[in-house]
Amino acid sequence: MKLTLKIWRQDSAAAAGRFESYSLDGAGEEFTLLEALDKLNDTLVETGQVPVAFDSDCREGICGSCGVTVDGVPHGPVANTPSCRQHLRSFADGSTVTLEPFRSGAFPVVRDLAVDRSGLDRIIEGGGYVSIDAGTATDADAHQVSHETAEAALDFAACIGCGACVAACPNGSASLFTGAKLMHLTLLPTTRQERGQRATGMTAAMDEEFGPCSVIGECVEVCPAGIPLTAIAGLNREKLRSVLRGKTS
Amino acid sequence: MSSTVRTHARRPLLSNFVCKTVMAVTGLIFSAFVLVHMLGNLKVYLGAEHFNDYAHWLREAFEPVLPYEGLLWVLRLALLASLAGHVACAALLWRRARVARGPVRRRSLPWRSFTARTMPVTGLVLLFFIIFHLLDLTTGIAPAASGAFEAATVNTSHAYENLVASFQRPLVGVFYALAMIVLGLHVAHGLWAAANDLGATGRRFRQVAVVASGVVALVIMLGNISIPIFVLLGVLK
Amino acid sequence: MTASLPADASALTPNDVRTIGDAIAGGQPTLGGPNAWADRKLHYNLVSPLNRHKFRIIVVGTGLAGAACAAALGEQGYDVHAFTFHDSPRRAHSVAAQGGINAARARKVDNDSLARFVKDTVKGGDFRAREADCWRLAEESVRVIDHLEAIGAPFAREYGGQLATRSFGGVQVSRTYYTRGQTGQQLEVAASQALLRQVAAGTVTLHTRSEMLDLIVDNEVEGGAARGIVVRDLVTGRIWSQTGHAVVLATGGYGNAFFKSTLAKNSNVSAAWRAHRRGALFASPSFLQFHPTALPLGSDWQSKTILMSESLRNDGRIWVPVQPNDPRAANDIPEAERDYYLERRYPAYGNLAPRDVASRAARDEIEAGRGVGPLHNSVYLDFRDPLARLGRPVLAERYGNLFEMYADATGDSPYAVPMRIAPGAHFAMGGLWSDYDLMTNIPGLFVGGEAGWAYHGANRLGANSLLSANVDGWFTLPYSIPNYLAPLLGTPVLADDAESVLRAVAETRASVETLAASPGTQGPDRFHRRLGEILYAHCGVSRSAAGLAEGIRLIRNLRHDFQADLRVAGDADGFNQELERAGRVADFIDLAELMCIDALDRDESCGAHFRLEHQLGDGEAARDDDNWSFVSAWERGPEGTYLRHQEPLHFESVQPETRNYKTS
Repeated sequence: MKLTLKIWRQDSAAAAGRFESYSLDGAGEEFTLLEALDKLNDTLVETGQVPVAFDSDCREGICGSCGVTVDGVPHGPVANTPSCRQHLRSFADGSTVTLEPFRSGAFPVVRDLAVDRSGLDRIIEGGGYVSIDAGTATDADAHQVSHETAEAALDFAACIGCGACVAACPNGSASLFTGAKLMHLTLLPTTRQERGQRATGMTAAMDEEFGPCSVIGECVEVCPAGIPLTAIAGLNREKLRSVLRGKTS
Repeated sequence: MSSTVRTHARRPLLSNFVCKTVMAVTGLIFSAFVLVHMLGNLKVYLGAEHFNDYAHWLREAFEPVLPYEGLLWVLRLALLASLAGHVACAALLWRRARVARGPVRRRSLPWRSFTARTMPVTGLVLLFFIIFHLLDLTTGIAPAASGAFEAATVNTSHAYENLVASFQRPLVGVFYALAMIVLGLHVAHGLWAAANDLGATGRRFRQVAVVASGVVALVIMLGNISIPIFVLLGVLK
Repeated sequence: MTASLPADASALTPNDVRTIGDAIAGGQPTLGGPNAWADRKLHYNLVSPLNRHKFRIIVVGTGLAGAACAAALGEQGYDVHAFTFHDSPRRAHSVAAQGGINAARARKVDNDSLARFVKDTVKGGDFRAREADCWRLAEESVRVIDHLEAIGAPFAREYGGQLATRSFGGVQVSRTYYTRGQTGQQLEVAASQALLRQVAAGTVTLHTRSEMLDLIVDNEVEGGAARGIVVRDLVTGRIWSQTGHAVVLATGGYGNAFFKSTLAKNSNVSAAWRAHRRGALFASPSFLQFHPTALPLGSDWQSKTILMSESLRNDGRIWVPVQPNDPRAANDIPEAERDYYLERRYPAYGNLAPRDVASRAARDEIEAGRGVGPLHNSVYLDFRDPLARLGRPVLAERYGNLFEMYADATGDSPYAVPMRIAPGAHFAMGGLWSDYDLMTNIPGLFVGGEAGWAYHGANRLGANSLLSANVDGWFTLPYSIPNYLAPLLGTPVLADDAESVLRAVAETRASVETLAASPGTQGPDRFHRRLGEILYAHCGVSRSAAGLAEGIRLIRNLRHDFQADLRVAGDADGFNQELERAGRVADFIDLAELMCIDALDRDESCGAHFRLEHQLGDGEAARDDDNWSFVSAWERGPEGTYLRHQEPLHFESVQPETRNYKTS
């Protein structure tokens, strides 16, 4: 099949960007979106042009490296699917596809379609961890965790940290990401201990770079891990709880 | 890139959490108010005497513990404070959201989020409506109020006549009806957002909350809209 | 780099491509078996808590081994600098491991034990691993689960609330702990959180999008010592040096040399290879595992062979049509005309035969013309019977995300039609040689996780890779590195303007600039694809002397073409992914040559290294313990010549035997 790719080109964070159109011939419907970019880049290099920069790594939808905005939608047309698992079969032969980086004030462009999502790590640094040193843990079989609780925690822990929720949010909020981590760690008995200071620290770090949530819900439409909106209610619950109790636990 | 250099932005006095909690709580106060207000409005169907008596009772309620119009002023002050908090926090959050979103707008996703995305717009329309409504039926200042407006006295209320006279103006009647649709949209998302902002994570509770938000909004909207429509149709006069 | 091209490739013999060096010692405790690790720890030097901040440790890589090592050393109070080429530590390829992590906790009454774990691992590795290390792996596996559970990995739980386990290939007990099909992700996220906790605490300085390009060796010290690395900031292009008292390489495996592999696109061998060029020995480079359940190739531009977890073989049944080139759809082939060849050939283990055995059996079927799919390059993995027996909800809970991933990649639902799978390049058992303390032959240079070599011999058991990375990072390096550091108290790190530092930085700058200025016409990926094809054809699931010799010839030709016709688009001073790839491909080409040399040299079959000349009557691998019971550790000489050292292997607890997965 043949596609016209309208791609955002930007040399660095400081440089101005612009769209450029490229024609992609000989791609197949079974190609992933990123394989189409691979093929385009191969042609660009062959013809002496500079290839399109984009982040990708595992190409299995688990590492969270990839992420481009496709026709205005973070990751692409198929809901809840990362860019590396979007296929060309979603597009009509001969159509024009617009590719942009993830758009958010907190995600400065590194080059072309690659952005800097380190703000998400700074939220984790704010408290999205468990303060247990290596070797000091108790026997994991010494406490019971119900099957349902473990599965629920895993539903929230499934977040791949791609940042699509932020890119989809009209407010540039990272509440789904933050809430998923808080819910994951709050649900399990060993990781629950410091939930008060975790909620305070993570929300403070989040507010420094990201916007407030208005429960618009576009984040859950794009999230490749299917994190539910409940995560955001969980974020607010944990924060409210820590304010009302005034304790670190 | 290295993690060594980290700049801490100055933390604002009112955090997003504080703003959102204020909006959720004041929004719930407003929702409760408009629901009760709507239920009171329905007395209009019992006739002028009932409606005016109800309006008069509101002024005399809890005398002598409260002075004349005491309850009304308590409510008015509470609502005014809520309004100030709700609007100020909304403005702050809206501003922060614009900064966080960055310079590039993106296409919105489907209709699912229509009510959520339009909250600032519906909110502004409601703010205008509240001012109009107070000028029309509380203070009676033209051109918002009709020429026939008669203020309440210590002994009587003319609420029914004022209402009918106001709604008999077709443009005003239609405006009231449209404003109630906007109110319905605002309340529908507002209640659901409040449930989330106040931390409703339970599966059952969320199911109830999403339905209740819609039902309450719909009831408020339909109950209030019926009045200008029946006035315009000549049923209420 | 410029070894001469022989006129007749088939004439290449091991003696043409290598010389034989001295034996080396692994330094394992003389007290073998279960007491070795405790004894070694008892004799390690310690660093006082007050002095720890005086030692700077460089950790390269933030996968399970690297993040764990950096976090654990940070928790102890050392001054740690962690480096990753990713934009976030959480993205390291450990994240993609699916099936689970083994631990010899032996809570069930299925007769598991530390000794059985060691036996399974040593036997699974076809007796080419260091047994003492396997004992440590077994012993520390117990608290790995406790620790990871405590720091946030939500392990699957039974309905009674206890930790759930399942079985993996090459094992008859149930010792694999898991979180759905995303075990690696959950462990990696937990480890990167622990790392970020130390960043927040100020003990770890994290450098993201920073790639190690060279190792700084201080030759003023007797015997040399690793004292720093040269790094390229991938965003700005700045090349700079980071010095410290010790360097840990936890940079993963090199399976991506095959281009189409189960690894992430950016996984590479460069950090390990640059250390090898500075003198670190490289162990068993030809020991590379082919995963039997990867997705088959469908098109030229398919970027990888996506991995399907081995856990699928717990329930799925592998088969091919009895009739070669059978044109019927899978579901139209009656039961009598299906050959469940693993169940037939290996009744005791059936579909859970170890990976090398399963991959080789699949290759046998495909080469006999019984391969299925449009390109006849795959075999069926069928869930029809478990679906009937267990029902869809049970399968969905066990494998839901894997089935979804498969349907997504191929357009077929595994609930409706059998999956199609084929062997794909996967895990590197080989890697930088290290002693029992995980230190390479360069003092101060440590290695952890897949970048090293010790536990898996010639074939790794499923779910042992997550375990080895965790044991190295959390519970081995934090003991052995202080032991190395303690005598260095008071020694300053190298100054940024020390001669050896300046020289390494200057050399790196020069080579990056040379690479960036390559005047040819083809991008690095073109050469990488060609390299992969050469390796699959000549150094793949089965190998022969003639094929390997031809492989070496083709790789040398490829290197020649690479040097002549490489084009690197863009500039050296800025974000340039072509430049990153070009450097990595150059190293892969060198590594690939060494892989073929090692495979040609090792004149036996063992584990994943299957030489067609050495097979038993029924097609099983014929190991030669009399001549080859050692680990090859390669030293790189001038002009790309190689010297093979050997570390003899001793087995006390598990006596070498011919592996038998048929009856026991």
